[in-house]
Amino acid sequence: MSRSAPIVFAAVEGMTDEVVLRRLIDEIDASTGPVHVAGGKANLRRKVNGYNHAARHLPWVILVDLNHEADCAPALRADWLPSPNRLMLFRVAVRTVEAWLLADAEQIAQFLRVSVARVPRFPDSLIDPKRTLIDLARHSGSRAMREDMVPRPKTGRSEGPAYASRIMEFARGSWRPSIAQNHSDSLRRCREALRRLLFDYRARGSHT
Amino acid sequence: MAKSAQRPMRFTHVRLENWRNFTNVDTPLDRRVFLVGPNAAGKSNLLDVFRFLRDLVAVGGGFQEAVRRRGGVSRVRCLAARRKPAITVLVRVGTTEEPRLWEYELCFHQDVRSRPLIKRERVSQNGSLVFKRPDAEDEADQERLTQTHLEQVYVNQEFRELVDFFPTVNYLHVVPQLVREPDRSVGRANDPFGGDFLERVAKAQEKTRKAWLRRILDALRVAVPQLDELELFRDNRGTPHLRGKYKHWRPRGAWQTEDQFSDGTLRLMGLLWITLAGSGPLLLEEPEMSLHPEVVRYIPQMFARMQRRTGRQVMISTHSADMLRDTGIGLNEVLLLEPSAEGTTARAAADIEEATALLEQGCTLADVIIPRTRPANVEQLTLFGD
Repeated sequence: MSRSAPIVFAAVEGMTDEVVLRRLIDEIDASTGPVHVAGGKANLRRKVNGYNHAARHLPWVILVDLNHEADCAPALRADWLPSPNRLMLFRVAVRTVEAWLLADAEQIAQFLRVSVARVPRFPDSLIDPKRTLIDLARHSGSRAMREDMVPRPKTGRSEGPAYASRIMEFARGSWRPSIAQNHSDSLRRCREALRRLLFDYRARGSHT
Repeated sequence: MAKSAQRPMRFTHVRLENWRNFTNVDTPLDRRVFLVGPNAAGKSNLLDVFRFLRDLVAVGGGFQEAVRRRGGVSRVRCLAARRKPAITVLVRVGTTEEPRLWEYELCFHQDVRSRPLIKRERVSQNGSLVFKRPDAEDEADQERLTQTHLEQVYVNQEFRELVDFFPTVNYLHVVPQLVREPDRSVGRANDPFGGDFLERVAKAQEKTRKAWLRRILDALRVAVPQLDELELFRDNRGTPHLRGKYKHWRPRGAWQTEDQFSDGTLRLMGLLWITLAGSGPLLLEEPEMSLHPEVVRYIPQMFARMQRRTGRQVMISTHSADMLRDTGIGLNEVLLLEPSAEGTTARAAADIEEATALLEQGCTLADVIIPRTRPANVEQLTLFGD
């Protein structure tokens, strides 16, 4: 019955991560169950153990940005969740999910209305992909895009007032994970791990 | 430049003396303002200043009526005010590029018969004085001080732009019960509590209304996916009603009228409608009420995009951590109201000492604001249960 479309539970930092993760789960022919949007990395971290506990019997995915918290993804994973349960998939985006979006250079260039030559080739190596994305938006041919995405003076913020909404619009619509993975190792490995998770879950289901 | 000139005007600054809870407030206002503060800090009273200015020039309004509606001078005056000083309202109106296009100041008290009386009234344009009262004629005839120059068509040509701006202020706080039972607020045009909400919808041009209802339906479906169609109809007494068709196990679905809509559906509908209707500053009280927190979370971004398109100002009072979690809200957009024995003060979140440090470390604006607006001894409330 439910083996045709298993439900994958998810926990993410913010609303943009949710849209990205939903796209990836859709791709593996699973359906996304309840998504826990923590609202900030600190809030997510507090709940990780609870999610891990729930992942004893049901498939879970946690998606976190690496940012500059640790040197590499394995270090962050070891720090946050040293012993994940079998159905817990803990994925780290290097350095943030924005890198995964930048990895589809043609589409992001078209979306932002900038020249594709401006989009960096290897987004995984960017120190601050979000900032790169916003700097691209500064050069956008569309005033609306600039106003939405670029932070305004005196706000004390690193993003514009409708940055999240624009990112979600892109991630939901024109972003192509299958193309993007060719330019982002971090994304490619996340997609593979999701497939494995589903495979494990199905295998386990056939035993019980 | 030409483009920015078309941007609608907004309030760019407000200064209040002895207005309700506020003995003294002097603060710039952004295009989007989130008013936060403990219960009874005066969030509604601050929003009311802009409605008061609208009432000064609205049809059926005027200075005397605007004060009377608020219970008279002594009710409007701050309780913390010493002796019987005057109430001052000063606003600047303009655009981001020209924030001081207009400045309006009204200072008033009451005469021996408790009538509101103007002590000072002034309009400036780009910093130069247009008029100032009391003038010689006012000295000769005190009766003139019972009316503002704003309400006088004969004298207000020079600042008609300002006079025309005030009535564009829009306020809606949909109380679902009033929408469902419009009899309770019969004949009230512009009812801030939405008693005339259906009338407002009905009054829109048919083509516009249909287009707007279609857009609202699309947006509503996000929160209420089972909603399939939305339309306005009039019953045989001519009273307008909204009805929605819900997906249903029956192949043709089921129609429901507004009296069967949920509180959340009605409130979201009101919120979306007022976002589309009108162009002047939009005042919203706790738009999060009755809505699912995950719906609330997206409201700030929705307004950000609406503002980019229309340039319209939005002032929102809120207690919602979900709203304040939005990472696009600027520290300059949040106005924190802090009550004290000397009246409530207001300051921008940018002036909160710990704000920048907390945000840099991945905390949200809610993490900064909510602890500052919670009552100090809130746990005492549990004792009431004994």
